Amino acid sequence: MAHNVTSKDIPLNGEKIDAKHINRPKFIALIIFIIGAVASAFLFMNDTWKGGFAYSWVFAFMFFISITLGGAFWMILHHVTNSGWGVSVRRLMENLGFVFPFFAIIAIPLMIPSVQNDLYEWMDMHRDITAADVKHNAEVSGEEYVAPSAYAGAGHALHHEAEVTHANGVESDHYAHLLHVKYWYMNLPFWLGRVIGFFVLLGGGIYILRKISIAQDTDPNPGCERLIKARQYSCIIMPIFAVVATFIALDFMMALDYKWFSTMYGVYFFAGCALNSMAVLILTLTWLRSKGYLKTVTSKEHYHIMGKLMHAFVIFWAYVSFAQFMLIWYANITEETSYFLLRNSDQWWVWSLSLPFLHFAVPFVLLLPHYAKKVTKIVVPICIYILIMHIVDLYIAVIAERGPSLTTKAGHPELFVDHAAYLGDIVAFITVGAFFVFMFLRNISSANLYPNRDPRLLESANLHN
Amino acid sequence: MSTSVKRVYGYLAEFESASALYKGAEKVRDAGFKKWDCYSPYPIHGLDDAMGLRRSILPYFVFFGGSTGLLTGFSLAYITQVIIYPTIVQAKPANIFTTAAFFPIMFELTILFSGFTVLFCLLGLMGLPRLNHPLFASRQFHRSTDDGFFIAVEARDPNFSAEDTKALLEEAGGKNIELVEEED
Repeated sequence: MAHNVTSKDIPLNGEKIDAKHINRPKFIALIIFIIGAVASAFLFMNDTWKGGFAYSWVFAFMFFISITLGGAFWMILHHVTNSGWGVSVRRLMENLGFVFPFFAIIAIPLMIPSVQNDLYEWMDMHRDITAADVKHNAEVSGEEYVAPSAYAGAGHALHHEAEVTHANGVESDHYAHLLHVKYWYMNLPFWLGRVIGFFVLLGGGIYILRKISIAQDTDPNPGCERLIKARQYSCIIMPIFAVVATFIALDFMMALDYKWFSTMYGVYFFAGCALNSMAVLILTLTWLRSKGYLKTVTSKEHYHIMGKLMHAFVIFWAYVSFAQFMLIWYANITEETSYFLLRNSDQWWVWSLSLPFLHFAVPFVLLLPHYAKKVTKIVVPICIYILIMHIVDLYIAVIAERGPSLTTKAGHPELFVDHAAYLGDIVAFITVGAFFVFMFLRNISSANLYPNRDPRLLESANLHN
Repeated sequence: MSTSVKRVYGYLAEFESASALYKGAEKVRDAGFKKWDCYSPYPIHGLDDAMGLRRSILPYFVFFGGSTGLLTGFSLAYITQVIIYPTIVQAKPANIFTTAAFFPIMFELTILFSGFTVLFCLLGLMGLPRLNHPLFASRQFHRSTDDGFFIAVEARDPNFSAEDTKALLEEAGGKNIELVEEED
């Protein structure tokens, strides 16, 4: 048994990361982000690229926001369950989760109507109908029509269009009807309100929890009040997290095809969040330990627990995503199968088929032995591997929609991508990734590396399992 | 009966507390004993390290038990539904890709076989079930399920000696050291 950590071993003012270790990576990430942002702005405005690049942006956005959401999840879960094991790595979770509110910046391009029209067919159709409605009313009343009230009629107009097109025998009638029925949820003001709500509510919650934790670091008389306060707040923030994570997946990813729906989709996205972020947490812990930080308060036992949680979520991801696939495959209902028809045909099929083996079976077997979770040289490559497989997972979920869609709105050209659109995926991924790394490093350097005055720090430092 | 020769099971020593037991266990471990054990009313954190116990080989059995379950589930579904009697439902294919429907069976059988392997291999490795244990001959040992902490060193151990082992247990902090003899 190693020597027991006592309060004498903990520096009075905690550990802070040295500028020499963090400034250079932070600076490089910032430079890459700025270059990437300029390139992205060009691609968003270029007529050839903009349609395909919008999908690249959603893919990169969803991948990195899933990591931040997972960080927030682990932090909130830690408070809610009153856990003791992870106090010494809790600040890493807080730092990772606190990247989430900043991702509102990355979401800005997705607020631009021209970008949305390439991505979300339903928005396009709503806008067409609103425009037609405005024109119609202007002709009738002979005066300029006010946009908001015109939009309020869009739901009715969709219904009207459904009837008209049905009468004319046009194929897309039921799509307009679908939009009419889903109008209470899928309408532009509510969508925008939701997205803002996601960032304000969950971002605010994460901010409060992190602030409570950091305030403890400098408290001359640290007690248990903050611990209890954080737990009480977390019980409120946890449901908010569940709703936000689910509806981010629904509004940004599932809405790419408004005709398709799956009640598993939110859980499926969440499973990826928790898995991904645990891999990132292990990588960050390893990086900080290699620079000589966190050595007194973390040990192989922390790696063991984090590895076990990652292993659990490898299984959970497989369970949820397979359940989603199998129920749809087995029931074989037309409106549900479109998602997998697209992803199980042509080249996508190879990738989809590889997921159960490469995303589940391989990491599952690799992580089974206890030493695979404890030895950094083994666990780090596994973490990187899991992150790569998760890129593939989300790539299939998002980018497959960019190709010829199985059903498209009548009269609108299908979005055939005949240029090397995957280059856009790389640009978007690097840009958003650099932003993520920059914000994460900024959070790491802005506070102590672990809650050095937390009443349960020693319990965590002497962890044994 | 009293004239018959009884087999010596080993020495039993009582310890005052969990921490005394822990420290005593470290001493016995360092003396190189293999056939000995600690007895405590409740689990003590880190005692397996103090006793120098190696990791159990049970996980390896479970891995192969689980794999057997997986293969059983797969063969059961594949042989019956693809080779012997293909059932066409909703025009779904009757080939290797039908396995998606049988994943739950494969999954459940993996768990069932793993569970059984855990149970039976655990019992086998522990030598259970058994009707009696030689230590039950000791009166003070009954307290091990209530408030007693004990170390028993078996006479089967090659390092065992009547004097030295007793001295070692005394030095390690053992009280009420008793030579336990098996009841015939």
